[in-house]
Amino acid sequence: MSQRDLVAELRAAHVEAPPEVRERVRLVAAGAPAPPRRITWRRSLGVLVPVAAAIAATIVFARPPKHQQTALEFGNRPATIAPNVGAATDRAAKAFAVPSPKNRVQTYDATLSLRVEHAHDVSDGVKRALRITTSLGGYSQSVHAETHGSSAVADLKLRIPRSRIQKAMAELAQIGTITDENVSTVDQTALLNNTDREIARLQKQVAALRTQPKSEENDRRIAALVTRIERLQRGEATTRRNAHYATVSLHLETPLVTVPQHKHGPLHGVVVALKWLGIGAVYGLAIGAPVAMLLVLLWLGIRVVRRRRENALLQI
Amino acid sequence: MTFQQAAEAHLDDVYGYLAWFTSDRFAAEDLTAVTFERALRLWHRFDPIRGSARTWLCQVARTVALDHFRSERRRTRREELAAPPEAIDFRFAEGLSPDLEAALARLTAGEREVVALRVLLDLDAGAAARILGISPTNCTTRLNRALKKLEEALHVAA
Repeated sequence: MSQRDLVAELRAAHVEAPPEVRERVRLVAAGAPAPPRRITWRRSLGVLVPVAAAIAATIVFARPPKHQQTALEFGNRPATIAPNVGAATDRAAKAFAVPSPKNRVQTYDATLSLRVEHAHDVSDGVKRALRITTSLGGYSQSVHAETHGSSAVADLKLRIPRSRIQKAMAELAQIGTITDENVSTVDQTALLNNTDREIARLQKQVAALRTQPKSEENDRRIAALVTRIERLQRGEATTRRNAHYATVSLHLETPLVTVPQHKHGPLHGVVVALKWLGIGAVYGLAIGAPVAMLLVLLWLGIRVVRRRRENALLQI
Repeated sequence: MTFQQAAEAHLDDVYGYLAWFTSDRFAAEDLTAVTFERALRLWHRFDPIRGSARTWLCQVARTVALDHFRSERRRTRREELAAPPEAIDFRFAEGLSPDLEAALARLTAGEREVVALRVLLDLDAGAAARILGISPTNCTTRLNRALKKLEEALHVAA
């Protein structure tokens, strides 16, 4: 018998399930629930694609344009922009209104940073600050001004009588917009009292030595004590003089960097998203490829083992 | 297509496939019922786009049959120690010559399976290969070997 005849005979054979099997299967099939509405990937895409497109369109076109937006940078410090000069002046005057009792000796240090719009305003501000200082009986200890194109900066150290410091600060604050302010007072009364007591003690020693018979050793000790008293008195006088004047460090500057933000089109967000997606894809590929390869090898191994077991099972 | 319609249309195919695969009528009857019970539970996974209901039912039937073979092998190993298994008198189909029946009985389960799928159920190579989990080329090779073996057995018998 040829292979063709063999196949023809096999195909002619008819196998029919026995009636009891048919009945069992019919009973099984009778318990089948009504077919649920199948959610295929085509149907899902039919819904998801328009929804995603609508969301993307909303995000892209509903974003407000950020034109004409600028950012001002003042070193590491955020700028505090006062609404107007008058308000800034009042605020400065209140900030520097540190109570100063008449019978106490205190050193007073203040720092005031101001922002002005243009480089020539810095120059004018320096002149005005010096005028204010001299008009109030003070003097300038140091002045440093620098200009680079459209930006300029100036640092002044001013000595102003302690009694007129509030007025000075109020007038200085009007030069520009306050960006930083700082006040520091240190009470020197206790230190001076100690120095006075030390001087009195040394003077008593000197007086006691002078009552003793005159000798070379005695004269030498008196001279040493007098030198020490004079040094203490000089220090005390310096402290009192320093306390008489307040030190004001005035810093004037123009905006250092003006960074205009780039004008972005409506699809900028999409471009950024695609860029990050690309970066993510590269990382994913670098990390995922070896893992995927291992998984594929594992899957192939499992498949081979299963196939061999299956073939062994079917060799009966 | 509902499950009832699929069961009604392909019951004989599934039974025939299992009968030839197992070469055991009683086992085939039980396995057919088990196949349709399992198919009913898995019916929500059936996707007509990916293949016909007959192919899908045969895939389920094959899984059921393999489970049966595994449990049979374990049982046989245990029982062989006590008594050798009895030969079962089985007829593959009505209308086959006794020589062909004998030749079919000498084939392995794997060979009978591919003959059943490709010849008895008349599935194409792709569908049969999908059921077997192999490539169509491999499926055709298996069929040719099985048919050659049958031919040789018939030649010897003649």
